[in-house]
Amino acid sequence: MNDAGYLRLLAEVLETLQDLAADWEYSRPLTPATTFFGDLGFESLDLVVLGAALQRRYGRLPFAEFLATLGQQGRQDITVGDLVAFIRQHVAQGA
Amino acid sequence: MPPQTVLIGLDGATFTILTPLMEQGVMPFLRQFQQQGVRAVVRSVTPPLTPPAWASVMTGKLPGQHGVFDFFQREGSESHHLRFVTAEDVGTETLWTLASRHGRRVVVLNFPLTFPPPPVNGCLVPGGWVPWRQLRLGCYPPGLFDRLRALPGFNARELVLDMALEARALEGCAPEEYLAWIDLHIRREQRWGEVLQALVRTEAPDLVAVLFDGLDKIQHLCWRFLDPALASTLATPWEQAVAARCRDYFRQLDALLATCSALADPAATVFLVSDHGFGPARTVWYLNAWLEQHGYLAWAPTADQPITTDPQLGFRAIARHLSYLDWHRTVAYAPTPTGHGLYLVRRRPDGGVALTEDEYQRQRQALAAALRAARHPATGQPLVTAVATREEVFAGPYQDRAPDLVLSLAPGTLISILRGPAAVVERAEVVGTHHPEGVFLAAGPGLRAGVQGPSFSLVDVAPLVLHSLDLPVPEDMAGRVPPGLYRAEFLRHRPVRRGPASALRPAPSTAGARLFDAEAEATMLARLRALGYIE
Repeated sequence: MNDAGYLRLLAEVLETLQDLAADWEYSRPLTPATTFFGDLGFESLDLVVLGAALQRRYGRLPFAEFLATLGQQGRQDITVGDLVAFIRQHVAQGA
Repeated sequence: MPPQTVLIGLDGATFTILTPLMEQGVMPFLRQFQQQGVRAVVRSVTPPLTPPAWASVMTGKLPGQHGVFDFFQREGSESHHLRFVTAEDVGTETLWTLASRHGRRVVVLNFPLTFPPPPVNGCLVPGGWVPWRQLRLGCYPPGLFDRLRALPGFNARELVLDMALEARALEGCAPEEYLAWIDLHIRREQRWGEVLQALVRTEAPDLVAVLFDGLDKIQHLCWRFLDPALASTLATPWEQAVAARCRDYFRQLDALLATCSALADPAATVFLVSDHGFGPARTVWYLNAWLEQHGYLAWAPTADQPITTDPQLGFRAIARHLSYLDWHRTVAYAPTPTGHGLYLVRRRPDGGVALTEDEYQRQRQALAAALRAARHPATGQPLVTAVATREEVFAGPYQDRAPDLVLSLAPGTLISILRGPAAVVERAEVVGTHHPEGVFLAAGPGLRAGVQGPSFSLVDVAPLVLHSLDLPVPEDMAGRVPPGLYRAEFLRHRPVRRGPASALRPAPSTAGARLFDAEAEATMLARLRALGYIE
C-alpha cells in the first residue's frame, strides 16, 4: 500500500472513531497519537468489538496476535496510529 | 400497520418462578395471557446456554447445524486459542434474514449474535456483549443510532453493556449493592421497551422480536431470593428487601409485556419464549482438576500464578486459562466453564501429533466412561446425566467446531475450569444455574386457549414464527410446528408450508480473525463468574 493508501486508511479509521467519540462526548481532537485506553477510556472488550467491525470492512485481521505482540513488548496502551499501521500492514500483505 | 407477529424473548425464564408470581398477583398480565393462550414447556438445546440456544430459536436448527456452541469458539478444529462468538459464527439464515428475504419488515432488539449486524429489511439493535461505546456500529441501518439517541430518555449506557455500571457484579456484588444491581436491570428493560415502542410506531414492522435478559442475570445472582422453595430461609430484613426488589423487577417486566402485546394488532400472534430454564445449584465441579486427578490433564509450571480479574484493561499480563496447561502432558481439557464441553488434544501447539485417530477414539471412549462414573464424593450421586460425543449431539455442517465430548450436568451442578481446592466443592449459598426446561406461551389466531400443550423443542419456535407470518418453513429446518398448539380446523385452513432450504454461510472459523484477546477473555470470564455462570 502506498502513502496515499495509508492516508486514506487513516482517514477512514479516524472517521469511524470520530463518529463513535461524539457519542462519548469526547471533544478533544483525534489524531494518530490518541491512545485507546488512556485517552478514549476504552476497555479491552471495546477494542475487540471495534476489531470485529473493522474486519467486516478490511477482511481478516490477526487482531489477537497484534495485541499479544504489544503486550509482550510491555506496551500499556495502543494509539490510533498503531492500529492504522497494523491494518495497513495486513491489508498490504493481503493485496 | 401494527405487527403481525411479536416474539418476546425472556432469557432464562422458568415456570418455577413465573407460575408462583402469576398466582401471587405479581404478574397479572402474564396470568391473563396464559389464560387466553397456550402454555408449554420448551426443551432447550445441548448445552442449555444463551448463545447456542438463542441461535437455535433464530435459525430453527440445532448447534451442529448453525455453528454456535458456547460464548467462545476455537479458532480452528485443532486450535488451542479461543475467540468470542459473533454474528459471523451463525452459519445459516435467521428468522430476521428469512423474513426480510420474503419482503417482511422486521424490528429486532437485544438478541445476542447480532453484531456485526446483518442487513435486514427494517431495524436491528444488537444485544449480547456489545459495549455501549460501540452501539452505533451495531445498529442497522446506518443512521438508526442517531434516531435512537434523539428519543427522550435514551441512555446507551443503560441499554447495553457498560462495564463501569456492571463493575459491581464483577467484584462480586457486595450485599449493599444488590438492590442497585436489580434496579439497573429494571431500568434496562424499560429502555428497551421505549426503543421498541418508538420503532414500532415508525417502522410498521411485520415481525417484532425483542429480548429481555434481566431475568437471566437476576436469577443467577438472586435465585435464593426468588425460589419459593427457599423462601423460609430469608430471615434478615436485607434478604427480604432483596426478595421484594426481585419481585418488583418481575412486576415491572409484566407491565412491559403488556405494553409490547398492546403494540400488536388484535389479530396478531404473540409468542413468549425462553432459551432455557433455571434452577438452584450448589455443587461446583472443578472439571480440569478432576481431569488432572484422572491423568488426563497436566498444569504448566506457571499454573500457580494467580488469575487477575482486574477490570482495568491495559496490557498487563493476564494469563489465559489455556496457557496454564502443559500441552505435552494433557490429553483432554475443558476450555470454558459455560459450554460443558471437553476437547481432546489431537495436535500440540507446535503442530506435533498428540493422538492418532485410533488413540483419539480409544481415549475419548475411556474418558466418556470415566465421566459417566464420576460421583459426588459426599453424596455418591452422579455428576452427569449424560456424556455424548459430538457426532451424537452436534451432527451437522459445523460439527468440527464442536467439543469432542459434551456433558449434561446433574441438577444442581456447576462447572469450574480453575484449579480448585478439590475436584468437587459445595458452595456456601445456593445460586441459580441453567436448566434444560424453558417456557413457551402464545396467544393469537388459531392457537388453543387456556391449555397446557405438550412440551416441544426450542428449534420448533422458528417454524411457529414463520407460519404465523404466513411464510414457508425451510425444508432443512430441524424444527416443525409442534402438534397440540393450534386448533385442527385452523391448520386445515392455514396449513404449514415447506419451502426451499435456507442458505448456509461459509464457516468463518479459519477465515475470520481471532476477535478475543487474552485480556478480553479474562474480562468476559470474570463477568460470567460474577453473574453466576461460572465458578
